[in-house]
Amino acid sequence: MNQERFWVLFSKKITNEANLSELEEFEKIILENPEWQYAVQNFCDIWDQKQPENYIEAEDAFLIHMNRINEGQILFGVPQNGLPEISNYRKKIKWYWAAAILFGLLVSLVAFKIFEGKSSNQLLAKEINEISTRPGSRSKVKLPDGSTVCLNAGSQLTYNKEYGKELREVTLIGEGFFDVMKNKEVPFIIHTSSINIKVLGTVFNVKAYPQDKLTETSLIRGSIEVTIKNRPNNKIILSPNEKLIVKNDELIDNGKTENKNGIIPPLSINTLVSITKLKYSPIDSTVTETAWIDNKLVFRDESFEDLAVQMGRWYDVSIEINDPVLKQTRLNGTFQSETVFQALDALKESIPFRYQQTGNKIIIHR
Amino acid sequence: MIENEKIRRLLKMIALNNDQEAYKELFVILHYRLKQFAYSILKSREEAEELVSDVFIRIWEKRDQLTLIESPRLYFYITTKNLALTRLKKQKRENSLSPENWLVQLDSIYFDPEKLMITEELSRQIRKAVNELPPKCRMIFKLIKEDELKYREVAELLQLSVKTVESQMAIALRRIGKQLHFEVKSSSQTLSRKKS
Repeated sequence: MNQERFWVLFSKKITNEANLSELEEFEKIILENPEWQYAVQNFCDIWDQKQPENYIEAEDAFLIHMNRINEGQILFGVPQNGLPEISNYRKKIKWYWAAAILFGLLVSLVAFKIFEGKSSNQLLAKEINEISTRPGSRSKVKLPDGSTVCLNAGSQLTYNKEYGKELREVTLIGEGFFDVMKNKEVPFIIHTSSINIKVLGTVFNVKAYPQDKLTETSLIRGSIEVTIKNRPNNKIILSPNEKLIVKNDELIDNGKTENKNGIIPPLSINTLVSITKLKYSPIDSTVTETAWIDNKLVFRDESFEDLAVQMGRWYDVSIEINDPVLKQTRLNGTFQSETVFQALDALKESIPFRYQQTGNKIIIHR
Repeated sequence: MIENEKIRRLLKMIALNNDQEAYKELFVILHYRLKQFAYSILKSREEAEELVSDVFIRIWEKRDQLTLIESPRLYFYITTKNLALTRLKKQKRENSLSPENWLVQLDSIYFDPEKLMITEELSRQIRKAVNELPPKCRMIFKLIKEDELKYREVAELLQLSVKTVESQMAIALRRIGKQLHFEVKSSSQTLSRKKS
């Protein structure tokens, strides 16, 4: 056997560089020379010994590094003390305040001339734009910068008139599918009751109904950064095809304990959030999370209880389940053009139940 | 091990959010290795320290372009190398430019005597074997064993072919093997390791 070959193969094996056929070749050599096995194992043991990491020196060096920047020895591309934009930002704010007040005065003067008789309160009320959808209806919104938002049933999107100047900031209650125009200078931020999402330009879905147990963020493409309310240090970066699920209840419960005891409870971030892959329909490989845009109500492994909430929003009815076992039953399916009764009849095919309708309310029982 | 995924994640946080904590973490995890690498070229601790600081200033300035790099870890090493070579040229230390003249700092192979049944004498011999490797071979061995770079990354960094990296690693291991008393003989008879 060629010695040189042995050492090439062994180095590649030990450094995880060997491909499958090289590993097989190496195995074959060892099989032919079983007495080498012990020595190879010893070598591997020595190799795997890692020097313990020690970052104390590095942390000191970081302080020196930051001092060097602050002392202005270096032409740093950002403002002083490395805290980006803080000092300039304040100056800017002052500027903008002055400009805003001046602008506001001018506008009211002109407005007063034009709409004589109309009260200025009406003009002020227009500073916040609000788009909302009723249960049972959906709508598409185009924002001033060209970004679009599809709003699912029973949702509300608000943004103020400053939108797009320094920040693109919106507040979402309910569910929206966002296609955000790329603009690195002006970050796009979405606020919901439990999370904040920061994006640069991307496509994703946010489901944040206040009455739901979970807030779900599904990323189709691009990259977004999510922070949990009251936990600004926990930043989560999502990659395409990932879904972030945040437990709303625990956040709220958590908030209560915090107020009572005055201390922050040591609840781990891992119990609050989880990341999963997006669900694809096995039939036409559409993404379950965003099927509603195509007027489809798709559910995969959903409990009847959670589905009832979704159907309620979808059909603008109130659905109540009176049986604990039925509530926990897991269901799969797709509704498109069915009425609420056709949908319920279809569900009855897979799980037996009866329902009663009184006005806008449907009660389900065994 | 400094993983590309981790570096990429931190770079993203810096790019998206000017995240100071991420910037610090990145500095801290990379500092030691980059400083060692810079030292091997510049042969001065002060200059190596300053150079790592320069690398991170550049990182901050270019932060919005850094999320797309295929191997961020390699990017840091290449930036360190380029800035160090520029510095040498400015100082007219032209004879230090060639990798043949780089001084490789090895932590030696790390041994925990508690875990391994090896004697002080044996570990001294292994260190000796590593330190007696030719400079290029030692550099390649160090980057792969201690910095845990991939063959491909080392080849790109030192502008060698992957085949060269492969054969240099084989040489390094064979020499260490010799110190450990396991030599691969064509007769396939005597491969053993002394226990004490």
